[in-house]
Formats: sequence, C-alpha cells, structure tokens
Amino acid sequence: MASFALEFPPISHLVEWPAFLFEDSPFAVNKITLIFLFALVCTLSLFIIGGRRQALVPTGVQNLVESSVDFIREGVVMQTMGHDGLSWVPFLTSLFFFIFFTNITGIIPVMQMPANARMAMPIVFAVMIWVLFIAVGIKHQGPFGYVKSVLFPPGVPKALYVLVTPIEFISTFLVRPFSLAVRLFANLLAGHILLVTFGVLAAALWAAKPTLVIVPLPFLMLVFLTGFEVLVAFLQAYIFTILAAVYIGGAMHPEH
Amino acid sequence: MRTKVLLSGAVVAGAILVGIPGVAHASGSAEEQECLLEQVHVAEEIAAGDTHAEIKTCEEAPNPILPAVDEMVWGTLAFLVVFFGIAKFGYPAIKKGMDDRTARIAGDLDAADKAKVDAETVRNEYERRLADAKNEASRIIEEARQAADGVRRDLIARAEAEAEELRRRNAEAVAGERGRVMAEMQGQVASLAIELAEKVVEASLDREANLQLIENYINSVGQQRA
Repeated sequence: MASFALEFPPISHLVEWPAFLFEDSPFAVNKITLIFLFALVCTLSLFIIGGRRQALVPTGVQNLVESSVDFIREGVVMQTMGHDGLSWVPFLTSLFFFIFFTNITGIIPVMQMPANARMAMPIVFAVMIWVLFIAVGIKHQGPFGYVKSVLFPPGVPKALYVLVTPIEFISTFLVRPFSLAVRLFANLLAGHILLVTFGVLAAALWAAKPTLVIVPLPFLMLVFLTGFEVLVAFLQAYIFTILAAVYIGGAMHPEH
Repeated sequence: MRTKVLLSGAVVAGAILVGIPGVAHASGSAEEQECLLEQVHVAEEIAAGDTHAEIKTCEEAPNPILPAVDEMVWGTLAFLVVFFGIAKFGYPAIKKGMDDRTARIAGDLDAADKAKVDAETVRNEYERRLADAKNEASRIIEEARQAADGVRRDLIARAEAEAEELRRRNAEAVAGERGRVMAEMQGQVASLAIELAEKVVEASLDREANLQLIENYINSVGQQRA
C-alpha cells in the first residue's frame, strides 16, 4: 500500500488572511474585510431590488425579501418582543442578513471562508447587543428598576437572593455576550475546519492512490458538509437574531 | 431577468474580488522575515557540523480567538452601512409595498363584501317583486275567475229566466190555444152530438135546451179529465 503524508495546516493558516492594502493600520484590508463588503453589497442589493418592484403578487427577489422581512417580523419580533418591538425590525433584519451573508461565504466557491469564523464581528455584535439590551432596560425601567428586575427577580424567597443574584448577574451581564459571540464564532470555525479537513483528506487520498475504494468517501462527506454548512449559516444567523430579540425584549418587558 | 443578471454579476464579481487575496497564511512582519533568513544561516551551520547551533521559531501565529482590529473596524462600518440603508430606504420601501398590498387586498375584500351585500339586496328586492307579481297575477286570475263565474251565473240565470219566461208564455199560449180549441171543439162536438142525437132519436128537441145540456155534460167531462 502506498504511504502518503497527510499534512494538516495549522488553524492560523485556515483563518488568518494577510492584508494587502493599508497594512499595519486599523483599516488594513484583507479577505475578511472584503467579505464584509460583499455582505454589504448583497444585503443592500437585495433590498434595493426587492423594494423597487412593487408587484401585487411578489416573485423573485421581491418575494425573497418580503418573506424574509415577514419572517423576522412575525417569527422573531412578534414572538419575542410583541408589538412594542416592531421598531426593532430594521435592526434585526440587518443583523440577520449581514450575519447570514458573512456565514454563507464559507461555502461559496473561491471565497470559502466564513467571516464569522473570525472573532471580530461575533464579538462586535455581542457587545452591541449587550449595550443595547442594557440601554433598553434602563430606558424602560430606569437604572435602579432594571438592575433590580435583573438581579432580584420577583417571586424568589429573599434568602435565595444570596444565590440567585450572583447567578443572574453572571448570566445576564457576563455570560450572555460571551455565549452570543462564542456560539457564532465556534460554530462557523468548526464548520470551516471540518470542510478543510475533508477537503485535505480527499485531496491527499486522491494524490496517494486514486484507485483506492475509500477515495470517494471524504469527498462525499465534503459534499454533505457543504450542504450542512448552508443550514448552519442560516441557523446561526437566526439563532443570533432571535437571541438578540429575546434579550432586548426581556429588557423591555421584565415581567416576561 | 435583469435582476437575476445583476445579482449573478454581483456574486461573481464579489467571488473574484474576495478570491484575489490568495491563500491564508500567518502574516509576517519584516522582523520575522529577517529572523527567518538568520535561521536559514543557522541551518546551514548545522549542516556544516556545528552541533551547538539551534534553530528557533521566528514566526508566532496570531491567536485565532483574538479579534483583529481591522476586521472589527471594517465589519462594524459595513454593518452600520447595511443598517442605515435598510432602516432608511430598504425596510420602509418593503414595508410600504406590503402595507399597500394589505390595504389593497383588504379594500378588495371589503368591496367584494359590499358587492355581495348589494347583490343580496338586489336579489331580495327582485324576489320580493317577483312574489308581488305572482300574488298580483294570482289575484287578477282569481278576480277574472270570479268575474267569469259571475258572468256565467248571470248568463245562466238570465237564460233560465228567459227559458222560464218562454216556457210560461208557451204554456199560456198552449193553454189559450187549448181553451180556444176546446171551446171550438165543444161547439163542434155539441153540434155533432145534436146532429147525431137528432139522427139517432130522430126527434127534434129544443135546440137551445139541448145545447145547454150538452155543454154542461162536456164541461163536467172536461173537469173530470183535468
């Protein structure tokens, strides 16, 4: 049997992209930043094209955009925030589309890199949501009322506050942003690594012995995982968006 | 079609643009490259037999968990542009389109309901008029039938009266004629009887007395027959 060396690249080689413009500056441009611009162009193009056509029976892009907006409005905002949250639909729609497009680049040929497999935007989004739900809570309940409703939930025996209050503090103010960021980042990074793993394996097997019976298996797994990543791209965008809505809605209505 | 071409073009252009940067690698600074050159010399010394020489690592891959500032800056800017574009233009346009459609469909449904109610009203009115017309027709037919019955009864009554009158006149005429005939026949019979009696008895009786006798007899006979 022919032996072959399977050399798996280090993680940094999978996700680190060199800057080719404005190197060593906060505005350095690399592949990830181009993916952000790609997501920007795609999202705005969809809305410009979908918003321009006003057919009575929507088809094509108009149908896609209207269905998506309706999905965010009815499936996310109305379910988690109620009528008071309708003003958040544009923000949550932007969030959903931007995350989705920066995820889906992981399986688009040539790009093949989900921008959220880098920690930058997950952490920006998580901090943004963290600041927003705290601000909304303070706006709707006042600083004291908000802190009280979070740290001292009603209906709990007073003696248990010794235990509940630190847990609530940690879960609301520390774990929430951390879990938001890590969930998105880790899912996309794991998916990207899986794709690379099976890609490298398929290529190595093919190079070593094309006649081997198991040669197609890694490739088939690669095809399956590529389809699975479409689901992950959508699901992670949806999860991030609905959690953002839940956190902001929870700050608006403490009784829920 | 134009939209599809536009979108496809955007996707292809984006893919090419994003593909340009080449393969990922741990980016290195000028110091790292200088260090690498030094290590090449060290490797040559080791190859030459220097056992004290040692190759060290020049390049330290950045931690993939730590966020890159440039990516945060570009990503935040891109997201803000997306949010601004959607909040200011995209979402209002989509929402207006959806609201207009909802209003139009609601208006059409209301109009359809109104048309249905109108049609129902017209149908009820039509049915009411039809029922009135039927009633009117029935009434007219009944009146006509009653009038015809009246006319028939009048005609029958008149005919019966005329017939009765005619019968009465005929009876009177017959009675008169019979009386006349009877009187005539009485006279003739009396004469014949006298003549016959005269011939039979050949006796000449008082003519006036015989006539009186015979008439009395005939009358008595006539009363008996009547």
